[in-house]
Amino acid sequence: MLKKFSEAVAKNEYYKLWFKDAWPYITGAVLLSIFQIVTMAVSGNPWGVSTAFANWGAWILQALGVSVEKWYFFSSEGALAVLDRGLLQDPASMRNIGVIFGALFSVLIASGFKIKKIKTKKQVVAAILGGTLMGYGARIAFGCNIGAFFSGISVLSLSGWVFAIFIFLGAIVGSKLLVKYFM
Amino acid sequence: MKEVTLDCLGEACPVPLVKAQKALEDLAIGDVLIVSIDHSCAMKNVPEWAREAGHNVEIEEVDDGEWEVVIEKAK
Amino acid sequence: MSDTTENTPATGTTGGIRRSSSSRASKKPKKSTIPYGILLALVIGGIGVALGTVNFTLGFFWFTGMAFGFILQKTRFCFTASLRDPYLTGSTSLTKAVLTALAITSLGFWAIMYSAHAKGLPIPGQGFVVPFGVHTMVGAFIFGIGMVISGGCASGTLMRVGEGFLMQILSLTFFIVGSVLSAATFGWWQLNFINQSPKVFLPDVLGWFGAIVVQLLIIGFLWIAADKYGKAKGASDAH
Repeated sequence: MLKKFSEAVAKNEYYKLWFKDAWPYITGAVLLSIFQIVTMAVSGNPWGVSTAFANWGAWILQALGVSVEKWYFFSSEGALAVLDRGLLQDPASMRNIGVIFGALFSVLIASGFKIKKIKTKKQVVAAILGGTLMGYGARIAFGCNIGAFFSGISVLSLSGWVFAIFIFLGAIVGSKLLVKYFM
Repeated sequence: MKEVTLDCLGEACPVPLVKAQKALEDLAIGDVLIVSIDHSCAMKNVPEWAREAGHNVEIEEVDDGEWEVVIEKAK
Repeated sequence: MSDTTENTPATGTTGGIRRSSSSRASKKPKKSTIPYGILLALVIGGIGVALGTVNFTLGFFWFTGMAFGFILQKTRFCFTASLRDPYLTGSTSLTKAVLTALAITSLGFWAIMYSAHAKGLPIPGQGFVVPFGVHTMVGAFIFGIGMVISGGCASGTLMRVGEGFLMQILSLTFFIVGSVLSAATFGWWQLNFINQSPKVFLPDVLGWFGAIVVQLLIIGFLWIAADKYGKAKGASDAH
């Protein structure tokens, strides 16, 4: 029965339109904006992603016995409170995990899930180097593409525009490196 | 008429697109380039680029999350 | 507008590109994962409701996270591509989409912030108005390099983990490592650069109405520039 149901759904033209095929970029722009505005209206802060990653690292280090709460970065009252509450009580972490599951739902419902294995050593080097650069850069620049760029510009902060100029320059250098060494 | 297959399985953006652009440069008009992709974003940007550049494009879903973008060089 | 689409036959109507039969033989029967999708929706929806009853904020963030992830995946939205493709591939369609999102979100945020200001309430979102200086330039620059070589920024990496990319699990792990290294050395940046850097909230400088008008004009100008650049690049590709 389940199989028949799936087959019938898969043939339905509205299923294809809504769940199977990709939506236009402009739809994404409008929907992301709506959820940004809702997030701001409800929680008083725009969307951010990468701050939570620093906390994930801090919790791992705490579990290993490192007292990160003595570090300057975590010394503010707000940061200490987040560390104290832990992963399951941290809304920003829940949102990041939500992003993973939202994307997983999207590919499962489209019958498009596939585990994509790492193919080459170059990919390993690219992931390690790229991930580390992003992590380091995001903290000193107060955010990533979302918190510092998308949200930063949208809250009318000049820092967002400065971030945009330099991330654009970085992307050009990154493209050159990618084509030369990582392809 | 030549047919070339480009295996971009397991590769994330922008690698499939850059590889496809390079591969198509070396082909003659009427030749066919088949790009195997399992990255959903590349499944959108590779055909988009090829159509904009004026080539004939077809997309085939080979398996769950796996596609073949068939590009016939037209220019 | 119609110039570019005129010589491009619509998909499916070309009657098929001729290919050798050998390459078609490898077709496997497809499985449907729709039931798993529905099951996952029930499970994560249930978790969200449970979280929300314990603590509204947790549940709210959980659901908005899922919405962001679904939208990013469904529309193949990619902030990395919007910044990388103009240089690398000459495509600006995502750049224009991101600029559109910036315009809409700016307007919405402006309305929320301005109404708080008008009522004499504290202005929300001020935690995102941060000092900028050398640390912003260095941070944004290396972030730009990192996101291009690893194939996704923070949100993109999370989305691709959900899509099943093992490579992105590795880059997420090292994103965390990089964050920790950065947090460990943050005091140095604070002392040498951040302390001396200004914070600028545009309405303080240009007035509430001036700020949003200038912001939208800049975004509009960039949108036109991206459009012209994309068309010029597309045209040169075709010849």
